[in-house]
Amino acid sequence: MIKAHGIKKNYGSHTVLNGTDFTAERKKITYILGTSGGGKSTLLKILIGALKPDAGNVIFEETDITQLEGSKLDPFRKKIGMLFQHGALLNSLTVGENISLPIREHTHLDENIIKIMVKMKLELVGLRDFEDLYPGQLSGGMQKRVALARALALDPEVVFFDEPTSGLDPIVAAVITKLIADLNRVQGITCIVVSHAVEEAMRIADKIVILYLGKVLAQGTPQEIKSSVDPLVQQFITGSPDGPIAFHTSRKDFREDLLVE
Amino acid sequence: MKKFVGYLGRTFIQFLQDLSSVYYLFQETVVQALILFTNRKKLEEARLLTHVYEIGTQSLLLVITVASLLGIAMTVLISFQLKEVGGYSYIPGLVAVAIFREMGPLITALIVTGRVGAAFTARIGTMKVSEEILALETMAINPVRFLVVQRFIGLLLSLPALTMLANFAAVFGGFLFGSTRLGIRPDTYVRETLEVLTFTDVFSGMMKALVFAVIIVMIGCYRGFIVEGGAEEVGKATMVSVVSSTLSIIVFDTFMTGAFYG
Repeated sequence: MIKAHGIKKNYGSHTVLNGTDFTAERKKITYILGTSGGGKSTLLKILIGALKPDAGNVIFEETDITQLEGSKLDPFRKKIGMLFQHGALLNSLTVGENISLPIREHTHLDENIIKIMVKMKLELVGLRDFEDLYPGQLSGGMQKRVALARALALDPEVVFFDEPTSGLDPIVAAVITKLIADLNRVQGITCIVVSHAVEEAMRIADKIVILYLGKVLAQGTPQEIKSSVDPLVQQFITGSPDGPIAFHTSRKDFREDLLVE
Repeated sequence: MKKFVGYLGRTFIQFLQDLSSVYYLFQETVVQALILFTNRKKLEEARLLTHVYEIGTQSLLLVITVASLLGIAMTVLISFQLKEVGGYSYIPGLVAVAIFREMGPLITALIVTGRVGAAFTARIGTMKVSEEILALETMAINPVRFLVVQRFIGLLLSLPALTMLANFAAVFGGFLFGSTRLGIRPDTYVRETLEVLTFTDVFSGMMKALVFAVIIVMIGCYRGFIVEGGAEEVGKATMVSVVSSTLSIIVFDTFMTGAFYG
């Protein structure tokens, strides 16, 4: 179980997270949805210990990971996997080397066993023949699948996904969504997905958390979210251009801005 | 005036911050290098010789070409001055001492900064921008051990070796010009060179090469690690890296020459 409590984060005078609270249950799929620039990626970085919040804490297995630094975070990080938005594969290594990297670093397995493990992970994402290619030779969707194989290399308990389907064609997006569901249903992996794909979340999530202006606007099962009467929630899940969530995010008055110029 | 003083103050504070960060990176690199040497499997995976090849061997032709031309140019200039007083016999010693103490280590380090230090910044900066460094951290892999240590050891081994070869190439350049154009007998040239050149000359040059190697790796990698943003920032960081590395090398060179011979 991962529990975030009262997370606050400012970049200069700009508040990104303003007291975010939520809980992700073990062996469940939790979707964190929100508008672009709504603090989703910042929250994710705080959850994996890559960024320190200004206030609040993140509890994973009774440890507050916001209090840990440097190598003290390693035991936590060996239990998690992370799929980055653009894959973040190491471009100087082949697909196979990328996946075997965490295995080599953290285990003392024989070379032959590592090779078998790499093949198994690649088979899981349907790219077994691509072991010797470099990330630059793959399409965006393929890179993401390889990155997922790498995130699963050490059989993590929790996998974090940063916008797993953004920028992908509908078929690859559906494949990735199915993979997330399978990982959870078959292997019992806890999945925490940051996304703005409402439909996908409604389909596979056990719990949905909607972030708005740095706070949790609503949380619950897809059914509960659907039946919410909050106009903000309704606008977000129906993707309507008209509603209380404004399209314009400029802080200055337009007329004033023009007159000053 | 107020703005200028403010700018100076900010630059100075930034300089101190950079200095302490580079020192921290150096400390971490040394610790991680020691850890690497205690782990045989990781040491084999680090492929140190590949880095020596990339840093050292691939810079060889450039360094030797520049050094031998420098040797010739120095001999031409010195002979022009000594012609007036008829002191051609001083040429071999003068050229050799100047090269081994000063010009060899300095010119090699400056070439390697432009060629290798810039590449370190660009490579690590690009990795930072594309979240590869964050991915390493998330996999509980220390980025300093993974990216800096091999380059650090690689350059510590390569730069003194390159410097030594540059020294010989430059002295040989001087020898060629001296023996063919100035009429100094080849055997006299060699004898004069060996008579004047001392162990301290060679040793101080090698010490400089080691210090320059540390400067190039630390500044090159540090500038890469602190990149935020996109391609433009990587470009800027690479430029700043080469400028600050060049400046630091020259400052340290002056201090070290003062310490050895002042």
